[in-house]
Amino acid sequence: MSFRAVTAVAGWEFRLAVRGRLVMGTALTFTIVCVAATLLGLRSLSNLGLAGVGPGTAALINLAILFPPLMGLMLGANSLSSARERGLLPLMLVQPLSRLDHVTGVVLGLVGAVWLTIGFGFGASAVLLASVAGTADVAGLLAIVAAALGVGVVSVALGVAISALAGSRLQALGLSMGLWFLFAFAIDLVLAGVASGAHLGPFGLFVGVLLNPLEAGRVLMVLASGGDALTLGPFGAYLNVTVGTVGAALAVCASLATWTGSSVLVAWAGISRREP
Amino acid sequence: MRNRKRTPAGDAESLEMLAISEVRKSFGDRVVLDDVSLQLKQGDIALLVGANGSGKSTLLRCVAGLTGFEGNARILGADPRVAARRGLIGYLPQLVALPEPVTVGEVIAFFARLRGLSPRRPADIAAAVSLPDGFLPPLELSIGTLSGGMRRRVALAAALIGSPPLVLLDEPAASLDEEHSASLWETMQALRAAGGTALIAMPLLVTSLLRHDLANVADRAVLLDHGRVIHDGSVESLRPAPALGAHRPMSGLVAEPAMSVGAR
Repeated sequence: MSFRAVTAVAGWEFRLAVRGRLVMGTALTFTIVCVAATLLGLRSLSNLGLAGVGPGTAALINLAILFPPLMGLMLGANSLSSARERGLLPLMLVQPLSRLDHVTGVVLGLVGAVWLTIGFGFGASAVLLASVAGTADVAGLLAIVAAALGVGVVSVALGVAISALAGSRLQALGLSMGLWFLFAFAIDLVLAGVASGAHLGPFGLFVGVLLNPLEAGRVLMVLASGGDALTLGPFGAYLNVTVGTVGAALAVCASLATWTGSSVLVAWAGISRREP
Repeated sequence: MRNRKRTPAGDAESLEMLAISEVRKSFGDRVVLDDVSLQLKQGDIALLVGANGSGKSTLLRCVAGLTGFEGNARILGADPRVAARRGLIGYLPQLVALPEPVTVGEVIAFFARLRGLSPRRPADIAAAVSLPDGFLPPLELSIGTLSGGMRRRVALAAALIGSPPLVLLDEPAASLDEEHSASLWETMQALRAAGGTALIAMPLLVTSLLRHDLANVADRAVLLDHGRVIHDGSVESLRPAPALGAHRPMSGLVAEPAMSVGAR
């Protein structure tokens, strides 16, 4: 792998992304919503502290699970498909770099754009929280941010994989939005509906969490924000008994890493086999 | 007979840059390239001429390693994809839309970095492009503000950065005005003088109309018809294009007997 080529492509993709309306609009909206959620939650935060997983923290976690992944998926889905339709992909793939260099550079550049958005939103929240938060709260917020950054990486990688496989840019964007809806809402609803009837049990639910990167990210954020597995209710109690808080955190981290790695490999295979 | 305009160095003469042998490509049942064979030595500039749908762009994509095919293609002995990774190919697609939010300088700097150059100042960026002064639009202009012809010039510059040994250009003069077309051909002459090799796809009409001028640039014209090479000879051997509304078989566009395909 060529470090020079990967950084060049990453810089190019980052520059294109941050000058686009999608990143600008999402960053602005995410920041406004984060500030609003923080202000609304400040009253309870001042009593419970951030580490108490108060309403403000819960709101921030849910925002981090919804906004950046949607943006990451759409940016990723737009990347290769748009370049293909514009005739830019052939021009780039004839340059002295491998397909894997190209895919890696695209993912890294877009991850930078998603991280920037997360930084704006949580940065604004952190400024507001500074007046009431203690050292432990700051650590909790940083842990949530770190988990959100991880979810951002997964969503971009998934989007790029979709982009490599989709027939057109429009199809890629549609698939990415469908996947986001599936991960953010539909799987939860389905699991809630069939859990008792299908006798899934806590282990089945845990597998369900690991198969859904957004839910894995949500669990990681809850755990990282200072709560232990019991914070997650009966399901958390099961995790506490079987794998413990650290074990559960490691399992969801492994899930996120697997999603990212396999998505990059799928994107690499797609761009290698398909005619640009 | 082929009309060589240049006397290349002896060692360059013998170096085979591109060897295509019995290349065949189909899209479903439609055969787009049918047993195409072609050789280019270092310093050769060849025009790939044909009507719409004759297979010119597909052949360039095969040589650039962008599409699979049956048969054999080697660039300095390497598979096209390997050759691209080694930086041996410069390629300009027929249609390319550069992103609008970036500037001309950013586009050139990006492709220069991919080629292992590190242009930091505008002068370095301009120097990375081997094109006549004034060919490239001002570096600070964003792509979104450029005309179609100006964007084409930027894409062409991106394809030529780093002086790749083999240049594949798909209708490079499309949407260029007279002045910049002349600059393009000057660049091709300079490329040839420097020992560069190019395969340039051109529409039949333009090539036949400008055959006397293009003969100063290119050594050969390879005429494709329905995916087959039907003529490989001098540019001047092409006859003028038919009048508007007229129709005649492709073989009638060649003024001299066709050379054996791939013969040099």
